[in-house]
Amino acid sequence: MTAFEVAIAPLWPYLVLIMVGFLPSEVWRALGVVVSRGLDERSEIIVWVRAVATTLLAAVVMKLLLTPTGALAAAPILARFGAVVAGVGVYFLARRSVIAGVIAGELILISVTYFALA
Amino acid sequence: MRVCIRTGQPAHAPKPRILPAPFWQNRAAHAHSGGAQLRQLRNSHGVARRFVINKSMNETGANDSQPERTGTNGSGSSTHRSPVLRGIRDALVLPAWIVGFSLLGVGSLAQDVGFPFGVAVLSTLLMWAAPAQVILFGGVAGGTALPLLAVAVSLSSIRLLPMTVAMMPMLRRPGQSLLTQLFVAHYVAVTVWIESNRRMPTMPEEERFRYYLGFANACLLVATTMTGIGFLLSAAVPLYLAAGLLFLTPLFFTIALIAGARTLIDQAALFIGAVLAPLFTLLVGPDFDLLATGLVGGTLAWLIGRRRR
Repeated sequence: MTAFEVAIAPLWPYLVLIMVGFLPSEVWRALGVVVSRGLDERSEIIVWVRAVATTLLAAVVMKLLLTPTGALAAAPILARFGAVVAGVGVYFLARRSVIAGVIAGELILISVTYFALA
Repeated sequence: MRVCIRTGQPAHAPKPRILPAPFWQNRAAHAHSGGAQLRQLRNSHGVARRFVINKSMNETGANDSQPERTGTNGSGSSTHRSPVLRGIRDALVLPAWIVGFSLLGVGSLAQDVGFPFGVAVLSTLLMWAAPAQVILFGGVAGGTALPLLAVAVSLSSIRLLPMTVAMMPMLRRPGQSLLTQLFVAHYVAVTVWIESNRRMPTMPEEERFRYYLGFANACLLVATTMTGIGFLLSAAVPLYLAAGLLFLTPLFFTIALIAGARTLIDQAALFIGAVLAPLFTLLVGPDFDLLATGLVGGTLAWLIGRRRR
């Protein structure tokens, strides 16, 4: 390694963060600013865009549950889906309490994963 | 329009208007719907109460399943308080902590994979997209080639485009520079988006921007701090707990989306998105499935909503 390479080595992870993490995701926000210019919040296009965004969010959730990365992959797939279904059920049973649904889903996922790994 | 029984004056003296409660506080909304109702509101000290008549909520144009409770604790005073503070308070009630704990999982993952502390913390400040951060750190750990990883991160963040487009018209003010707009757009993330979408349309235009900055900054700062804490605690976090922390993202997204889905379009979009996503993963592969699901499913949901109107 040259002296230059040694000098920049500690900066490498930061460069990865900027080039591989920050810019590839931020580009969509920047594009959103440009594309939305001159659009009225009540226009039909915005209604459609909102529907696309909501659909995408549901799709992201499905992907996170079906093919998770990181430690979540260690949780059995049935636990992942079961815990989400239970969390939504508790949310409604607890008269639409988001916190109750989240706690119930978490408890189920963590305990099932604990016993599955044991 | 709310009227105080005792005085006959509008309950919110300066500007009577309807503020939907944030989605995690809308329990009352579905128990009572429509018609004149008696309800109690606490004053700023949360002790003394007064009765308020609450009639014909639909005159604001909000649909009838919209939460009807004004503000939150101390709603009598909330109209006097700065929108920034209201945003911060609404964030700290719950959503900032949920995002915070899910990013605690991300911080812990960054440490496991061998990234320095600064990168973990900066990843939240700069990327502000938990799924993309997990893909970044997980991908580096798995040895994915960096250009491919950049594409994977980017494709996972496509949702930010329609979210930003739907959000900006509510936040734009005359004379705002492009740089300011880019700065404002940087805060766009699922939690901020769902909550702002529900709250801001009924908010006076001049308050939206400040409310949004208060809410979003509170979420971002809590989440950044928690990422750092997660990094430092990483060794102490057993695998089943780490799984639980990362599970917060899909779990909270699901419940918050369902809680926030008030129109037929929203509900159709959620259902169609969940069903189409795995189908499109099989049809077009794991790279462009999100994009395809969003465009096809979103258009379907929009058409369904249009036929109803």
